[in-house]
Amino acid sequence: MTWFLLGMAALAIAAVVRLVVPWRAGRPASLALVLAGCAAAGGTALRVLAGGPGVEWSFPTTLPGGPWLLRLDPLAAWFVVPIVIVGACGALFGSGTFARERRSGRVATTEAMMPILLGAMALVVTAQAVVPFLIAWETMAIAGLLLILHEGERVEVRRSALVYLVATHAATLALVAMFALWGSQSPDLTFPSLQASLRARPEWCLLVLPLGLLGFGIKAGMIPLHSWLPGAHSSAPSHVSAVLSGVMIKTGIYGLLRITLMAERVPAWWGWLLLGGGLLSGVLGVLWALAQHDLKRLLAYHSVENIGIILIGMGAGALGTASGQPLLAVLGYGGALLHTLNHALFKSLLFLGSGAVVHATGTREIDSLGGLARRMPWTWATFLIASVAIVGLPPLNGFVSEWTIAQALLAGSEGPASLRVLAISLAGLGLIGALALACFTKVDGVIFLGQPRSESARAAQEAGRGQRVPLVLVSALCLGIGLAPGVALAPALRVVASTAAVSSPPPAGALEPILAGALSVTGLGVALLSIIGLLVLVRRLLLARGRITIDSTWACGYPAVTSRMQYTAASFAAPLLGMFGAASGIVIERKARTVHTRPVDLVLDRAARPLWDRLQHAAGRLRWMQSGRLHWYLLYVLATLAILLGYLAAGGIR
Amino acid sequence: MNAAGLAPVLLLMGLAPLVQGLVHRTRALITGRRGIPLLQLYRDLWKLARKGTVVSRTSSGLFAALPSAVLAAAIGAALLAPLGPGGSVLRFPGDFVAFAGLLALSRYALILAGFESGSSFEGMGASREVTIATFAEPALFLCLAALALVTGGRDMSSLFGSPMARAPLLAPALILVAGSLFVLLLAETGQVPVDDPTTHLELTMIHEVIVLDLGGPDLGCVLYAASLKLTLLAALIAAVLVPPGPMHLPWMVAGVAAIAVVVGVVAGFSARIRLDRLPQFLTAAVVLASLALALTLR
Repeated sequence: MTWFLLGMAALAIAAVVRLVVPWRAGRPASLALVLAGCAAAGGTALRVLAGGPGVEWSFPTTLPGGPWLLRLDPLAAWFVVPIVIVGACGALFGSGTFARERRSGRVATTEAMMPILLGAMALVVTAQAVVPFLIAWETMAIAGLLLILHEGERVEVRRSALVYLVATHAATLALVAMFALWGSQSPDLTFPSLQASLRARPEWCLLVLPLGLLGFGIKAGMIPLHSWLPGAHSSAPSHVSAVLSGVMIKTGIYGLLRITLMAERVPAWWGWLLLGGGLLSGVLGVLWALAQHDLKRLLAYHSVENIGIILIGMGAGALGTASGQPLLAVLGYGGALLHTLNHALFKSLLFLGSGAVVHATGTREIDSLGGLARRMPWTWATFLIASVAIVGLPPLNGFVSEWTIAQALLAGSEGPASLRVLAISLAGLGLIGALALACFTKVDGVIFLGQPRSESARAAQEAGRGQRVPLVLVSALCLGIGLAPGVALAPALRVVASTAAVSSPPPAGALEPILAGALSVTGLGVALLSIIGLLVLVRRLLLARGRITIDSTWACGYPAVTSRMQYTAASFAAPLLGMFGAASGIVIERKARTVHTRPVDLVLDRAARPLWDRLQHAAGRLRWMQSGRLHWYLLYVLATLAILLGYLAAGGIR
Repeated sequence: MNAAGLAPVLLLMGLAPLVQGLVHRTRALITGRRGIPLLQLYRDLWKLARKGTVVSRTSSGLFAALPSAVLAAAIGAALLAPLGPGGSVLRFPGDFVAFAGLLALSRYALILAGFESGSSFEGMGASREVTIATFAEPALFLCLAALALVTGGRDMSSLFGSPMARAPLLAPALILVAGSLFVLLLAETGQVPVDDPTTHLELTMIHEVIVLDLGGPDLGCVLYAASLKLTLLAALIAAVLVPPGPMHLPWMVAGVAAIAVVVGVVAGFSARIRLDRLPQFLTAAVVLASLALALTLR
């Protein structure tokens, strides 16, 4: 724990150094401190995951709520690892992006907030008492807000930040309500006491869990609570988006897991609720991603989709706990944990890659890009790895977690008849995968291949070395987990086994074939890559010197081909979106000579905003009360007082 | 790893172009033509292997690897498919997810190879391809789920290891699964009525238009991969329908040939479905698979 706390201290000092010490010396010193802090915290977490003792630190306090407890148990350690990996890579990438930035004041704030955000997230997952948890939670939210506001001079950034602020505080409100109700049943506000009280009275799950789903669900960005996410994550600088999308939304997943595991035997409806929410988020998230024209908004919607996949796994796991099926519980939660890690890696890689693209071209419009593969080969190679990973295809890490979750869904068929229905969810996974493939062939094909669609894309230059290093590092991790799934799968299953998710271990020999299967996945990946290598070699032999002619693309004999004649991302997605009708969130604007499609967020633009407008309109009818004269307001105060006194006199509070 | 399973994989890989020829020949005979020779695809592949190629000016360095990846992913899927009596070469719980993933990877590489040319035709074909896949993928997973519930198996070798013989009472469900897989086969491998491999109009093509700018060995890779996918899916359908006994391999080859003839007959008697009506046809696969799953849920 000492090393972990030293790491947190290093992060805090890094923020101070960045703000206080002048530009030249402050930047490298601060960056070095961030990296050292991440290394220290990550090292401790890895030791816990490798089977070392969980470490605990208690701080006696006179504040209500009992001692402040921090504990790095296996579950917390599992979340700390992606936080420090993505955090360190994001900070590295950011310092490369900001190297030539002019507005040094704004940059200093942004760079100082990054370690604060990382430290707060690490404390969120290690806090074992309500007060430090909520302090860390709010610090994380505010640091996130300041990071999103980096380009606060743009009006759409300010608007997204406002939506984010409202959403995150709604989440905190729900959590405060949850902890207040829950704490009324327990002697103090430490998690162990809360856990004991919930286990003593399982009927309180009916209150605690839905409030938790509201609070943590908003943070995780599950549909229909996701509306803040696309705007906020696309407005932030890309390396910040990588941290927000890669790990910050995972604190919501962490919270859901924590409260689910604190209830000893969760009710079955909770499992079905998570599963249903997961399927909804997964399918609609990827469908709405496909409809986007803005690269970073598209990636943000994909986070919603992947949160859905994680929730599917968690739902299966909760059903396993509820029905006493240890194999289902272990595989479901294990798959969810694994996908949390994998998504943190490939999503941060995608956002960092999009950062390189935006940095090089100055635009996020997919249809103004094109042909970047030849101009930015490193970015293209790493972006392609991340794309194949997010679609869930072998031999990359996304496949491993979807493989685990799919097995969980089938493991349900060994239990009671009602759990056989779980197998249907496989179709949901298939649909999500197919839509993700459509979305990422669109992104890869239109942005990186073909001809540039604008002058800025034509003039694009490869990212600098400071940006390439984190890109390559994270790609190596994606490929590593994809080729050797055992290194991540075995610890994930151990983490689940260490929790209360399974009252008894799975039947002997049930997990061995799956861990052995991880070895076969290695075999498959190696076979695949070697066959590709072999075929490329054969191709090179067949097409020896002089047998490849480089020429322009055939266009039915028309010589003056321009880049405008290429297929656009909008037309690529149109037929598929058309099949889903109004659910696809696309508005088609036809004019005399042009057709434009515009994506809308069905929840924010079609439900929340109109509802808000109605509320405002209704509130307008009470405007006569606000006369602006002091004596009227005094009268209101007096009247309120009288009503409250009357309530007390009638015996309102016993 | 099951090394003995490699022999049937190699056998079917060798026969794959013939299966494609069988489909063409059947269709030609029914429509009253003589048709191309049965072994034409072998000749085409041989010819393509010896030819040079024209690569578009817009292509990136990755282009050289994409047609290889299309074929490699299909071969990877063949390693997972239970073709021989001892099951598949690589067998592990949940390997069907990898099988579906490899077919998708093959599609991914093909679409990127199309985009490399920067031509509108390829973009159009790719767009149609992913639209079709969106319907095919859930259907495939429903079929696999139904088979898993019928057989209680967790890998492809037990999923497709004579389910008919093991659960004769569930024959209706298995026939529905086979029907769904058949629609999938038509869609995945671009057969009439989903797509017409012999059409000459780019605007109506799906699979063919993606490969429009490929030539030489690159085109050969993609054509061969398509015939391999056709053979694999036919073998899976045959495995669902026919209870393989001790004569496993001859059964399998005969089954594949029979499915190829049926595909040819369907192609001979039907016209192409209009593109915007295609989803309705593909929904049939989803519906059939859902019905099968409903029957197995009890």
